[in-house]
Amino acid sequence: MNSPYTLETKMEQPKKTKTLDLARIRAALPGQIAAYIFLLPALMLYAVFAWFPIIQSILMSLHDVRLGGEWTWVGLDNFALMLRDPAFEDAWRNSLEFAFWSLALGYLVPVIIAILVREMRQGKGFFRVVYFLPTVVPTAIAVIIWRFIYDPDIGILNEFLGQFGVSRLLWLQDATLAKPALVAVMTWGAFGTTALIYLASLQDVAQELYEAAELDGATPLQRIRHISLPHLYPVMSLMFVLQVIAVVQVFTEPFLLTSGGPGRATLTPAMHIYNRAFIRFDMGYASAWSVTMIVILGAFSIIYRVVNYRLTADR
Amino acid sequence: MDRGFFSNVELRTPKGRFFYSLAFLFLAVIAIVTLFPFLYAFTSGLKSSTEVVKSLNLLPENPIWENYSQAWTRFEMPRMFANSFVIVTGSVLLRVGVSAAAAFSLSKLKPIGGRFISLGFLLTLMIPSIAYFVPLYTTIADLPIIHTSLIGSYWGLWLPYTVDAFSIFVLKTFFDRIPGDLTDSARVDGANPLQMLTHIILPLSRSILIVLCVLAFVALWRDFLLPYLVLTDPATQPITVRLFYVAGDYSLNLQMAASFLALLPPLLIAILLQRYMKIGLTLGGVKG
Repeated sequence: MNSPYTLETKMEQPKKTKTLDLARIRAALPGQIAAYIFLLPALMLYAVFAWFPIIQSILMSLHDVRLGGEWTWVGLDNFALMLRDPAFEDAWRNSLEFAFWSLALGYLVPVIIAILVREMRQGKGFFRVVYFLPTVVPTAIAVIIWRFIYDPDIGILNEFLGQFGVSRLLWLQDATLAKPALVAVMTWGAFGTTALIYLASLQDVAQELYEAAELDGATPLQRIRHISLPHLYPVMSLMFVLQVIAVVQVFTEPFLLTSGGPGRATLTPAMHIYNRAFIRFDMGYASAWSVTMIVILGAFSIIYRVVNYRLTADR
Repeated sequence: MDRGFFSNVELRTPKGRFFYSLAFLFLAVIAIVTLFPFLYAFTSGLKSSTEVVKSLNLLPENPIWENYSQAWTRFEMPRMFANSFVIVTGSVLLRVGVSAAAAFSLSKLKPIGGRFISLGFLLTLMIPSIAYFVPLYTTIADLPIIHTSLIGSYWGLWLPYTVDAFSIFVLKTFFDRIPGDLTDSARVDGANPLQMLTHIILPLSRSILIVLCVLAFVALWRDFLLPYLVLTDPATQPITVRLFYVAGDYSLNLQMAASFLALLPPLLIAILLQRYMKIGLTLGGVKG
């Protein structure tokens, strides 16, 4: 207890009678009131804008809720409806594919970048800033530029590929191309953060380790494999989880670039929640999707942690 | 002496030089790809409306600088910027202020049940925000108990944006490291908790407060969905929401000029305040 009255309570402790407990509470009261006055703004704001909505999300999923209308208890009907919704399978399969593309395009690149930037004797600061710049850019503005780059008729990507004889591609309008094209935009906007985190972690590797390895005749590649990479493994493991969780929640890029199309090829669960809640005003049904998302993401990080723990324990 | 997996001696050998140049080239190519959308928007913004369609000419034949002033006035960018600025600055100040007060209480005033409250804050970090976005919106549209709607008002953004448990935990960790002796002696000298916060804790935490302000500024400046739903009147919308919807009405060169102008504030912050952003990112990496 670090309360202002620590000294008094300590002196009174040996007696331990009920009246003294009351006295102690009375003595601590002004301090407690002050403590709660400072907490009050946060408590009120979190209650209204976080805790209450979180509970409501669960409650709404069990009700039929229309905007500004009555709540009708429907039990698990929303969930049953969700499982029959053809969009359910599509949206979650898209999420899986997005996660796959995102890991394929962007999981190892930041690691390589960090290891190489760490080696640079010139231009280190320049690279660090440049890679980081897209991460501060508002997505809604970046997509105006990307829309132009991807344009099938006048976009520079097709013009550029045309120089090598590649015929014009419908980047955002073709069901198979739209996913990687969107993931490229997401990766562009996110890899810098990850690279910087790896780079910061690499700064902690003791230089003596490299020196000792060098003396023992380890080649540079071996030094990367046995010193740099093992040092990064814990962070890489964390980044894996964070990247998948972020990709599954993606909204703005598909919403603004493809509106989930063509067809449902880039529809994500977050977009479907938006469509149901704010276009069709079916808030109960949308909440069933939200709750499902919490469950799936929670299960994913728990399973990942258990598997990862088993694997590292074996080593 | 600074070294990585290559020693400085190795780098002077022909083989070392070769690998170094290769690595440099690789990083440079990625840097060019990364910067390309910015540069391309900038040069396209200088082209005429017919030239912009011939996209392979990276550099304009005759740069038309008026495009930028045209975009500035035609898109009414001053108002969009002002809206963004008011929304984001208000939110940042509220967020950091509320978080600092809460963190100070949890760290130095030891409220009964503080652990339980911390758990409540932690919960908001673990649940993805999109998962309670719908009831958040209905809450903003109809506040509990007082039944007021904040739709169309900046309060509808300022208040929800204060919720950021990450700020509270970073500040609490930082405050925990400020020796208790300092606050205790202030208390003996008759300082009340508010004076302790404003005269001792906050001045000592200036650096971390700046880091959190910069992080919050950039993060909130980027946000799209909440302002898109809360601010229905176009005249009040921030640049991230408004520009996307008006862009389509204008020729591509003006679109690009406006986009480039819109990107400047966050880019400048990232470049000028990179030191603080870097600290903030590594804080985020440790957070888990």
